[in-house]
Amino acid sequence: MEKVISEAKKAFMTGNETVAWAALAAGAEVMFGYPITPQNEVMHYWTRLAPKYGRGFLQTEDEISAGFTVCGAVQAGKKAFTATAGPGNVLMQEPFGMAEAMRLPLLAIIQQRGGPSSGTVVYSQQEVTLTTFGGNGEGHRIVYSTATHQEIYDYTIKGFNTAWKYRFPTFILGDGYQAKMREPLELYSPEEKGIKMVETYPLIGLPGHIGEGREPQHLCNIYSLEEELYEVVMKVSAEYEAISLELIEYQERECDDADIIIVSHGVVSRAADDAVTALRAQGLKVGCFRPITLRPFPAQALRNVLQKSGAKKMLVAESAYGQLYRLVRQEIYGETVPIDTLFMPGVGIIDYDIMNKIKSML
Amino acid sequence: MAMLEPLVPATPKSWYLPSKPHKFCPGCGHGIVLKALGENIDELGIQDKTIFGCDIGCSLLAWNFFACDSTQTHHGRTTPVMVGIKRSRPELITVGYMGDGGGYSIGSQHLLNAAVRNEKVTLILVNNTNYGMTGGQMAPTTLPGQKTETSPFGRDPEQTGYPTKGPEFIAQLTPDSAYVARATVSKYNQLKRFIRNALRNQIEGNGFSFVEVLATCPTNWRTNAQQTWRFLEDEMEPYFPVGEIKSPFGKGDK
Amino acid sequence: MERLDRVMEAYVGEYASGKSEIAINRALELRSRGRSVTLVDLDTVEPFYTLRTLKPLLEEKGLQVISFCKQDAFGLGETGAMLNPQARWALRRDGDIILDVGYGVYGARTLNLVEGAYESQELRVIAVINYSRPLTGSRDRIQEYILDLGRVDAIVSNTHLGSDTTEKIIEEGHTVIMHVARELGIPVDFVAVDESFQDSMGLDIAGIPIKYIHRYMPAAMW
Repeated sequence: MEKVISEAKKAFMTGNETVAWAALAAGAEVMFGYPITPQNEVMHYWTRLAPKYGRGFLQTEDEISAGFTVCGAVQAGKKAFTATAGPGNVLMQEPFGMAEAMRLPLLAIIQQRGGPSSGTVVYSQQEVTLTTFGGNGEGHRIVYSTATHQEIYDYTIKGFNTAWKYRFPTFILGDGYQAKMREPLELYSPEEKGIKMVETYPLIGLPGHIGEGREPQHLCNIYSLEEELYEVVMKVSAEYEAISLELIEYQERECDDADIIIVSHGVVSRAADDAVTALRAQGLKVGCFRPITLRPFPAQALRNVLQKSGAKKMLVAESAYGQLYRLVRQEIYGETVPIDTLFMPGVGIIDYDIMNKIKSML
Repeated sequence: MAMLEPLVPATPKSWYLPSKPHKFCPGCGHGIVLKALGENIDELGIQDKTIFGCDIGCSLLAWNFFACDSTQTHHGRTTPVMVGIKRSRPELITVGYMGDGGGYSIGSQHLLNAAVRNEKVTLILVNNTNYGMTGGQMAPTTLPGQKTETSPFGRDPEQTGYPTKGPEFIAQLTPDSAYVARATVSKYNQLKRFIRNALRNQIEGNGFSFVEVLATCPTNWRTNAQQTWRFLEDEMEPYFPVGEIKSPFGKGDK
Repeated sequence: MERLDRVMEAYVGEYASGKSEIAINRALELRSRGRSVTLVDLDTVEPFYTLRTLKPLLEEKGLQVISFCKQDAFGLGETGAMLNPQARWALRRDGDIILDVGYGVYGARTLNLVEGAYESQELRVIAVINYSRPLTGSRDRIQEYILDLGRVDAIVSNTHLGSDTTEKIIEEGHTVIMHVARELGIPVDFVAVDESFQDSMGLDIAGIPIKYIHRYMPAAMW
């Protein structure tokens, strides 16, 4: 495969373009997608670049099809991905569920927009519940919540490796602001940074003659007996829990002696970071904790931070009405720290919003 | 010298004046279709019982276009919503309004099943060969070789098939009591007549009615006035023949 | 001496290349000389980063702005491809006209939406190029991109990396752009540089005028 980025170079780009370039650099072979604002430029760029690098593309009839065509492609052993938002994300839960059940290495980029329903085309963090626990499964998914374009690039590449190594559907959870904002970042080929791309392999269409050295592969996502299903789900759950420790990622800053800890994810964590800097300068003991993987959630890490700091309060800030809050509470059940909330569904949160909220909590 | 009164264009009574002037682009075909629909609603006297449903996309700009009860749905889901309304309240006249994406792509399964069941709804589909509102992506009706944001090198029929001929396949699925036609904004009287027949089919309780309308989109085609009409009449019509494909009202009008 | 004949410029270029920013700055520059200026929004692909949100601000600064303002676009969902009908007749207005032509697969053909644009002798189609963007990140790519655009009368060299911009980056990008411009026989009107560089050492940019740009577009996100 032709090397996409000959040498690492800094570039000024939008988030959507970054997804397309990262997928190219990661060796993605095909993209399936359907138009929905605010992720259209992922397709616009992929369709322009793909022919030059021998990659494939199909705009499907809808998002359900886009998700299922990716499922087909990865079953056939091709590195495939899709991108969507809002109502498209809702539709894709059906194929995402199949990927969970059949352990398919699917990668999907989600650019959150206002919800529910058509909401706005702009921005929100209202697809957290959907992306982490959507569909009729147990949430056996890996979800990375990015905050910068460099992370979009890094985690899209990592996302492919995570998906193909662990065989759980993997998500890059962005949003409309990240999709459209312009920022500098460094583009690079994975090899240049010592990142080895996980080899893909087919689950069907295997080489060799059936009966002479290989068996036919029979893949399914349905079982006849409740007990069969029970065994499968228990086994997968155990595997998921076992790999959680390797997968978990988070960031924390100034938490060691913090009185108040701000918990946020994605772009809101940038505002939280700025708020901590400003508040510390004013002599307030505030720290911030940012889960990067929402699934699996860095629960123990957060518990440790709470215990070590002896924080008196926690503030959950999100551009949604409680989706991160619910996730946090469920993950740190038993912790007694009082939790305050800053809910701004569908609206961007800046450092001043967080600072004012913290001051009202004192 | 006397003050000149500003000229107010003659608008159908069923148009909702507070939402005028509308936001459709200059040269857009939607305005012409909605005028034909509005005039028909007036002439048939059905303003009070017309339910107007619209899709996502440019058809969305029509959500408060009429002085009729209206509902905006999800992309591709206007058809089932109209079916739900009609089956609950058969006395209402349900008019579903969508684009080529909403009808032939994400909404195609609903469209064809409504046709098979001969649902007594009227669906108007505006075909301008692209996904206008989201910035000009490829649509099921994009012509071979036509450039769009997701077919930047021109639509390749080998990879993506040929343009969908909706009314033709819908006509195959429906019984004889259905009305299926294709009109064009370049022939207004015919367009108005076809929409009238479509509404008549529902009002008289016969069956399904479907009208595709070839329409202009200079904004996404990036065409000036002459190029726009040329594309509509010389390039689109050969692919999408205009006329009544199925009509319970006598010999089809070609 | 101020040119008496009017200025008509259309800024075209790749997605996020800086067209709108340059168009705004240019319109304000002309306005500051007491000229009457109309700024036209021809961005029809996406609703983000268009002139819509800045319309009130720019009108306060004395520009006439043809664009739907954000409030008018409200409640209409996707609102990407919305063109204010007045844009069609923009060239019939008096005074200077600056057109901000959005990106798209048709390049400069978007000018078809403005009556008389292609035939106009007065109109100059100016391509804005940022060497720090991948699709215009090499000599070949810039050349290919410009040839793809269609009609291009001049180039604006706009290499930058946002907050990571350095003089070296600007100079390096400009050198490559100049090379392509010479090869294609297209003049480079000016080099656009963020105003924070105004007191810097002195950029080495082959005698092309520098225009210092104030960034308005970050406030135009939505």
